[in-house]
Amino acid sequence: MSSRRSHSRQSGSSRITEDQIADLVSKLQRLIPELRNRHSDKVSASKVLQETCNYIRSLHKEVDDLSERLSELLASLETDSDQAAIIRSLLM
Amino acid sequence: MRQKQIPNKARDTAMKNPTNSLKRRFSLKFLKTLMRIRKSRPPPSPSASSSWEIRWRAQKIKLAAYFSMALSVGSKRTWSRALTMKLRATMGNRRWSSWKGSKKMTKRRIVAKKNMEKRHLEKDMNSGLQQLRQLVPGGESMDPRSLLEETAHFVRCLETQVRVMRSIAEGFPC
Repeated sequence: MSSRRSHSRQSGSSRITEDQIADLVSKLQRLIPELRNRHSDKVSASKVLQETCNYIRSLHKEVDDLSERLSELLASLETDSDQAAIIRSLLM
Repeated sequence: MRQKQIPNKARDTAMKNPTNSLKRRFSLKFLKTLMRIRKSRPPPSPSASSSWEIRWRAQKIKLAAYFSMALSVGSKRTWSRALTMKLRATMGNRRWSSWKGSKKMTKRRIVAKKNMEKRHLEKDMNSGLQQLRQLVPGGESMDPRSLLEETAHFVRCLETQVRVMRSIAEGFPC
């Protein structure tokens, strides 16, 4: 990574431009279900970031819930070897 | 002298989006680990009950999900490298305490972050960026642009992970 000098006014290729940031922020906006349909420019960058954080947290929560669910399902697999065979065949 | 560089745009696109092959790699790794987890037994404990065992197994499954995803992405993204390292340390120590918001910041590129905060453009984004740094593995030492790029990729991979886990859970014969 090229080093950045904070007082430099040169617009070299290593300097992060406002356009690039705005581009990346709008790309994030398209990813977030909450904001996806609001194509207008009214969504501020900080709102996009905030919603992104909320979305990531909600995804983590879903992983937690799904892990719990899968654990219960795995426990039920114990007693039925037919089901285990099905899963194993999925891996072949 | 000719420079044989892949143009930035093509390289970025290749790195940007999780693909179907990623989904396949993740599914396979995760399923294999699930089967291994199924065979494993929790350490004997006086308080062991079936619900405790389920929770114990759920923790392993959760770890397996993140680990499988990080491995499937490989070393080409900062977040996947950071996550792999964190998880290896976690699993080695058999501890599972708040790896998501690790306080051990790598001091490497905090300087870059400070430079960025001086620019007035990012002023209103700073709080959001700060939160993202805690949420995205390896985010503490990223400059804002990398942080935003890594976040986008991380989010899409998380979505893939959730989708696969859900379809496995729903595909279970009951």
